[in-house]
Amino acid sequence: MMDVAQVRSAFLPEMRKLSAFLRRDALIAWSYRRGAVSDVVGMLVQALMFYFLSSLVDPARMPQLGGTRAGYMGFVVVGLTVAAFYQIGVTRMMGAVQNERLVGTFETLLVTPTAYATLQLGFVIYDILRIPVRTGIFLVLATTLFGVQVHWAGMAQVAVIVLALLPFVWGVAAVLTAAVVAFRQVASLVGLANFVLVLASGTYFPLHLLPPWLAKTAAINPLAMALNGARAALLGGTGWAAILPQTAVVFAMSIATWIVGTFAFHFALERERHTGTLGLY
Amino acid sequence: MRRVHTAVDPAVEVRGLSRHFGTRTALRDVSISVSRGEIHSLLGPNGAGKTTLLRILAGLTRPSAGTAHVLGLDILHQTAVVRGLVGVIPPGDRTFYQRLSGLENLIFFGRLYGLGFRDAMRRARETLEAVGLTGQEHLMIGKYSQGMQKRLAIARALLTDPAVFLIDEATHNLDPEGARLVRELIRNAADRGAGVVWATQRVEEIRGFADTVTLLHRGEVRFTGTTAQLVSLASPTSFLLRIRNGGMAPELMTAQLRAALGGLGVIAPDAGADGEHYVMTVANGSTLGAAIGAISRADLQVLSCHETRPEIEQAFVELTEESPS
Repeated sequence: MMDVAQVRSAFLPEMRKLSAFLRRDALIAWSYRRGAVSDVVGMLVQALMFYFLSSLVDPARMPQLGGTRAGYMGFVVVGLTVAAFYQIGVTRMMGAVQNERLVGTFETLLVTPTAYATLQLGFVIYDILRIPVRTGIFLVLATTLFGVQVHWAGMAQVAVIVLALLPFVWGVAAVLTAAVVAFRQVASLVGLANFVLVLASGTYFPLHLLPPWLAKTAAINPLAMALNGARAALLGGTGWAAILPQTAVVFAMSIATWIVGTFAFHFALERERHTGTLGLY
Repeated sequence: MRRVHTAVDPAVEVRGLSRHFGTRTALRDVSISVSRGEIHSLLGPNGAGKTTLLRILAGLTRPSAGTAHVLGLDILHQTAVVRGLVGVIPPGDRTFYQRLSGLENLIFFGRLYGLGFRDAMRRARETLEAVGLTGQEHLMIGKYSQGMQKRLAIARALLTDPAVFLIDEATHNLDPEGARLVRELIRNAADRGAGVVWATQRVEEIRGFADTVTLLHRGEVRFTGTTAQLVSLASPTSFLLRIRNGGMAPELMTAQLRAALGGLGVIAPDAGADGEHYVMTVANGSTLGAAIGAISRADLQVLSCHETRPEIEQAFVELTEESPS
């Protein structure tokens, strides 16, 4: 059994490798720096589309958040913010493995003494740091350009909610990446499953508009719970007491998903080692 | 119990290793042993099982049966530790990030091998210099030629000065000077005590370079021993002689040559039948020097003499020939 010193001696060097991944992806992103501009433009175009759509939505059908009724624009802006965190996090890990396999670096990574968990986190570490910045830019632009009213004091609560959601994103990403590692051309199927999960999260419309049975099922979606909490904090201005119980449930579900994802990724790689097809794409 | 490697453990020890892919057998009951400081060549034609064996040793593929140890560590159960002690040079050309420079690629991989940033930077610069890529370090990999990428792969394997090298077709795509440089670097590493497994299908590459050879064919070991022992297995070698003709008819020349050689060998006009070129096989118990001496003493001038097929290549061909069914 490992003692604390052994765990520390194994853990710290692995953590230091994350900065190598971070530097690698930052340099690669810098080499594609024009893409960052198009990303911001894309976000604004999306927000503009929802701005016009919001004029068609009856405010009476929008949910009450902390005693105030949210406007559709504010509702969807916060939804897009949190959902983007989820979507980018999930697709990045899957895309990274596919890309590494395609260019031939996947096996080169696997022959280094790097733990599978470090590889998983390494694939997404750059985005984990990038997305909050991107989210902040998006929120500032949305509030400035489209007049969305936000309780900025709720950002601390949103940060806690996002942190609680992080293992869920990691876990789902690891499960989907495991599917890509084991079965390769399943990206479209995985994309569909991912789309359903986002659709049933209340990103674009309140869940109570769904058929009752689907609304009940969707309500236990950790992404939906996180969205509710973020909206309550940013649009309703509710305090910590209102969001903490739900955040605790999100965190528990996240940890369970992360454990499943970690095992799925491990087993997918071991299966490939067994079949001898690790580097094939 | 986890085993810690010691200085007396062989670099690589493989016993009874087999690997099946469905009904196809890639390796059957393969055993090799490589000492520290030894360059061991895995020789064989395409599909012989060389890459599969290297992949098993690198922990990328699991064997179906048998055991494999690197520096005394079981590669199945201590894979992560083994990976930290081994430098792998893969056969592919594209094993780097195309949007990063050569230097940044090496720094990244160096850090995955546990080096701190400063050490990774220092070692990256040193190994870039060793493989002759100084001055090209800031160029994006996308602009590197295949040969430069191969040299960079060597630099990556040298980053941590590993105790074992697993090398697959390292000189493929390299010009003769580049190939010589790579062999020199690996020889230097072996001289410092590293064990090297060098897979190649090019026979001429291992002469004067590899200490020992395992010849694989269709997943089975056909020969294992020193390079000299492999050469000694070859059948008597043929030589292509160029004789000053002086306008003599080929039939007459052939008769004179045969008379001069006597029992020292057999000689016949080369297929081109230009009157100047003859193929000679030296008889068992005789020597090339004795045969040429006999021809010279008969006032026939030997202008040049070449092996029609080097002995080592001859041994390779004979050992990988299919038995008549």
